Amino acid sequence: MTTEDELNPIRLWREWIVQSEKMWSDSITEVMGNPQVSGGMGRSMQEFLHMHKMFTESFAQYLSGLNLPSRSDILDLSDRIGQLEDAVAAVSVDLREQRSLLASTGVVSETKPAKKKPSRTKKPQAD
Amino acid sequence: MESIIVAINEDGRVSDDNEIRRVTASLVDKAIARNLPGLQQLPSTEAELDVGTSAKELIYTEDTARLYHYDALCDEIYRVPVLIVMSPVARGYILDLAKGQSLIEYLSLQGHDVFMLEWIEPRRRHATLTFEDYASRLLGNCVEKVLECSGEPDVTLIGYCMGGMLATMYTASSENPAIKNLACFTTPFNADGMALYKTWVEAGAVDIDRLIDELGNVPGDIVNQSIQALRPMQKTAGRMTLLNNVENDAFVKAHLRFDHWATNQLAIPGALARELFSEFLRKNKFFKNEYLIGDKIADLRKITVPFLHVAAEYDHIVPSAASAGLVDAVSSEDKEEIVVKGGHVSLVAGGNAIYRLWPQLDKWLSARGQ
Repeated sequence: MTTEDELNPIRLWREWIVQSEKMWSDSITEVMGNPQVSGGMGRSMQEFLHMHKMFTESFAQYLSGLNLPSRSDILDLSDRIGQLEDAVAAVSVDLREQRSLLASTGVVSETKPAKKKPSRTKKPQAD
Repeated sequence: MESIIVAINEDGRVSDDNEIRRVTASLVDKAIARNLPGLQQLPSTEAELDVGTSAKELIYTEDTARLYHYDALCDEIYRVPVLIVMSPVARGYILDLAKGQSLIEYLSLQGHDVFMLEWIEPRRRHATLTFEDYASRLLGNCVEKVLECSGEPDVTLIGYCMGGMLATMYTASSENPAIKNLACFTTPFNADGMALYKTWVEAGAVDIDRLIDELGNVPGDIVNQSIQALRPMQKTAGRMTLLNNVENDAFVKAHLRFDHWATNQLAIPGALARELFSEFLRKNKFFKNEYLIGDKIADLRKITVPFLHVAAEYDHIVPSAASAGLVDAVSSEDKEEIVVKGGHVSLVAGGNAIYRLWPQLDKWLSARGQ
């Protein structure tokens, strides 16, 4: 772009961030790799899981009272949609197999032109 | 302003409020698109980003496994089909990112018959799936399906990241004679080389049992954060680069494709994550040839087929300390390691992959594809 754009201080600052990224990342990763910091992260995660459990249990009743779905209800729904997706995938695979079986026996003709099967005879090119 | 523009239509009909709003919004969008390049409505879904567009057919499905067969792009192909095994934590479209930037498309154009085993997001009922399910039952069934579909007696396996672990474990534990060649990209092998994760496990930074008891599977967000922790400022730097190139629409779209993939990691089934922590990270059993897949040990010394490992010079997810030694661990006489410039993802999908890895991979496969 223009020289003016290249001298844009915001642009230069962004470039400095990009160029010094590895240094910053290495420093932060080193801190996270410290056993004491790692232990602290572990405690934070324990607290998060404890709070998660507590909120899940207490909010389920409120949400039920308000006639709203809880996380568990959403997961149930997600599982049911997943089961439908699995069933559609399985039907799709079966249909493909039946279609190619029927086409190979000549019982039905393909609705679209059958793909020509490539021959498996290719050899590598000499260097 | 609205009334001036569209209060009266060409046919003399007076517009209602909704029509005025719609036309105004359309005019504003057009003005933005025309005058502020890079600020067009940003694509956000996989369909809008045009990822994974190579023509393919779903040929097998079981639990979290989805096996696809890609359409051949040549009239003549190599005899041995290629089965790519994706990592259970990553979506497969990274290998078929966009037209001209797709490893799948490249291999198909070079005359390889390409299959890919992808994984879907595990649900609650998948929380009990283990390495035995992934590396033996599901992968084994997919290998059989590829043989059936291609009509050939053997297949080449290519594993990416943890997919490389699965392919290696399967080849070592099953000793299936149908595996003709094995190639792995950036495959974690020695857990001692994954310094940060190792420290976390040993310092108790993650109570995996409690996490799984509470959540069932390890959510994709946690997987994503764990990966980002290896290079915490990379995302910020990526955003800065994006802002500096915001006028370049091609750059913006390519950036969004990568970003969408990187921030949409798959969850890990609870039992698999537990095993990953205990058997791989803590006890390093894969490296020690002690990893049990069902009742069989994944002893890498039993691998005798032609073997290729590709490592990335600047890989921060699976650093060289974690993948080094894999080639030495197998007994194959025909074995090779290639180290290419690039990172964990740019190795397979970056703009330079077409000049660096892909031609070398094609050459290796072609020589062993008859």
